[in-house]
Amino acid sequence: MIHTVTIIGANGTMGRNVAAIFASFGNAKVYLVSRTLQKSIEAKEKAFLSVRAESIKEKMFPRDYSQLAECIGESELIFEACAEDWKVKENIHKQISGYLSRNQIVCSGTSGLSITALSEIYNEDQRLGFVGMHFFNPPYHMTLCELIPTPHTDMEIFKSLCTYAKNVLHRTVVEVKDTPAFLGNRIGFHFINEAMQTAETHRCDGGIDYIDEILGPFTGREMPPMITADFVGLDVHKAIVEHLYGNTCDYAHDTFLLPQFVNALIEEGHLGRKSDGGLYRNHTRGDGEKTRQVYDIEKGNYREIRRYAFPFAKEMVGAIRAGDYGYAFTSMISHRSKEARICCELLLKYILYGMKVVEIIRGGVFAMGTMSWQPALTGVLPWL
Amino acid sequence: MEYMDNVYILGGAQTDFERNWQKEGKGVIALLKEVVTDALKVVGITFSDIERLNEENKVACYVGNFIAENYIDQGHLGALLTEVHPAFYGVPSARYEAACSSSSAALDAAYTKIKAGEYDLAVVVGWELMKTVDSKTCADILGRASYYETEGKDIDFPFPRLFGRLADETIKKYGIGEQRYMDSLAKIACINYGNAKRNPFAQTRKWFMNYEQASRRGTKTNSFVGKRLGISDCSQVTDGAAAVLLASERMVKELGIDRNRVPVVKGYGHRTAPMLFEKKMENARGSRYLLPWTRQAVVDAYHRAGVGVKNIDVFETHDCFTSSEYAAISAFGITEPGMEYEAVEDGRIGFEGEYPVNPGGGLIGCGHPVGASGCRMFLDLYKQVSGTAGDYQVRRADGSIPKNGAMLNIGGTATTNYVFVIGR
Repeated sequence: MIHTVTIIGANGTMGRNVAAIFASFGNAKVYLVSRTLQKSIEAKEKAFLSVRAESIKEKMFPRDYSQLAECIGESELIFEACAEDWKVKENIHKQISGYLSRNQIVCSGTSGLSITALSEIYNEDQRLGFVGMHFFNPPYHMTLCELIPTPHTDMEIFKSLCTYAKNVLHRTVVEVKDTPAFLGNRIGFHFINEAMQTAETHRCDGGIDYIDEILGPFTGREMPPMITADFVGLDVHKAIVEHLYGNTCDYAHDTFLLPQFVNALIEEGHLGRKSDGGLYRNHTRGDGEKTRQVYDIEKGNYREIRRYAFPFAKEMVGAIRAGDYGYAFTSMISHRSKEARICCELLLKYILYGMKVVEIIRGGVFAMGTMSWQPALTGVLPWL
Repeated sequence: MEYMDNVYILGGAQTDFERNWQKEGKGVIALLKEVVTDALKVVGITFSDIERLNEENKVACYVGNFIAENYIDQGHLGALLTEVHPAFYGVPSARYEAACSSSSAALDAAYTKIKAGEYDLAVVVGWELMKTVDSKTCADILGRASYYETEGKDIDFPFPRLFGRLADETIKKYGIGEQRYMDSLAKIACINYGNAKRNPFAQTRKWFMNYEQASRRGTKTNSFVGKRLGISDCSQVTDGAAAVLLASERMVKELGIDRNRVPVVKGYGHRTAPMLFEKKMENARGSRYLLPWTRQAVVDAYHRAGVGVKNIDVFETHDCFTSSEYAAISAFGITEPGMEYEAVEDGRIGFEGEYPVNPGGGLIGCGHPVGASGCRMFLDLYKQVSGTAGDYQVRRADGSIPKNGAMLNIGGTATTNYVFVIGR
């Protein structure tokens, strides 16, 4: 049973939202640890909103690093959610290591760093309880949770953590091997980056909004890929695809090359929703009217979003609306327009890479038969 | 007559109540295609079978829906099934409306025709798409289940207010301490949210709720709706459909199923109380029950089924609000009227209790697409008595699956009351 949890880096979005998951579903006492007590207090004031439950406030206790030893001493599980920077994490995990006194579970919420390398900061006994626990943002809505053991992890501890995450925290648990960006992000960022590359190729046809329109909701996504990239933040996107480019060597290696125009936007400070626009931006015209603009790759400036009308998309939208899902996709496959070909090609590559990565990430962990993940689209594409 | 003995329940399907169909770009035809196709598949009947039965005029469709005219600008809902599949061309089909008990009215009609030997197969579909409008507009549309001109028009969230008044009247009639009563309502919410966690179709299966949260009405994350009830006391706005197939003995034989293993409809009750809440309360003054016509519908159904509450192993009730589930506890006979809190406090209505209520989460946990709820309850009872409820299967004390189940589906402020008892 996990009664007490320490969240380190609780002032960050992921830290406080994960804290809320432990305090709510886990009914755990949660220590929120940040660099300053004030930041931890602010995190507590925001965290409960993410699970829509005022009642969990009384389960959260703001602390700063000077109190880390006591927090860890009392906790069965320690969750690190600090900045995605090796030096920062190395320093924190060294501190945690010094305070561990008994069989405790230590989790890192890193989305990219090697779990095995982090575990090796600890002594041999401590490594037994070290696990990667990767949530997606916002965790209350995105229940997918990747759990990553290392070669040093005690599999009994790992299994009990998987059961806890599934049955108590109500997570959709996927066990994955310690590979770059794990499973969800490797597939997801492959698709988004390839959409960006395709936008660059088709910059004279419209580029960003042109490709996003081709990959509209009728393809099964809640959000088109490049709107997603703005939501994630272009700087974060860059860090993840560069990490994947530097550490993977499969057939899709080049799909992780960041297009030049994205680099240029980042350099100008256009990082997405968190800054003054990114691939898209909100714009107020001279007459006061608010409009939505998109970055024009060809011209190097922002312009109004275009209204595209693709016959293949219209047909798909109509078929999906009437529940003819199979027909929607067969009509796309048989359509000869350039846009239908782009759509079909990107979706197929996405699915194939998804399947490939699942194959790569199978192995020791999946020999136990727990892997049932497949890309969302494989359920609706009739030929797969 | 040879085929008049029993009305058999072959099974059915429901959609995932978590889904938002408009967000998915899917309309009512997609909803109906999915639920009807799934139901036929589960039961092992094909569209060709429907065509063949229709040649002899032995199949009919019954559609339950409250108010699609306001939510999606669509009427003539019985005929709409012809858009699902050409097999429905020529099949008798009509829409039944009784507010939130619409699909029970459809089930009632289907049951009657099968019982009378008119048809061998009835396809009953209940549905509602509600997420097409904002919550305030949605509440106003639902207000039409009251006497709108008097109780609904120009009033924000009329039904939460009316069921808040039901709570007031309960406290007044039985002299229960307000704190104890409100605690019971919070516990009812928790039980339903908790049960929904086991149900793969439940709208709130990933949501968080505990007793502390359900008790903190009037806070930012559990604000008051109406005067007394909090958000945690209310079912949510839901999109969804449920379909069940009823059959005659001849149909069961034709399908080669052992009829002794197929659940049957054992009894029904159908009573209508005064439309206006005020008149309902006046009418109840001489009764031990706050909702005497609801109780009477239960008594009628038990009588027709030849059972008493002791013979019922599982219940589905209409917890559109926690206060309506509270009143249903005594209406079912689980406690005496006025003593409902006992069954909440001692765990009798819990998942492992003697009289489990809403093991799949009910309206609060599973969701309440109003026109679908009767059908969904009926389907869930079928699953329970046939041992096919999966993770939310309840068991009797000896470990066996339930023999009998009872459901209460109400329309308006317990104005239309439908009860079905089904079992093996």
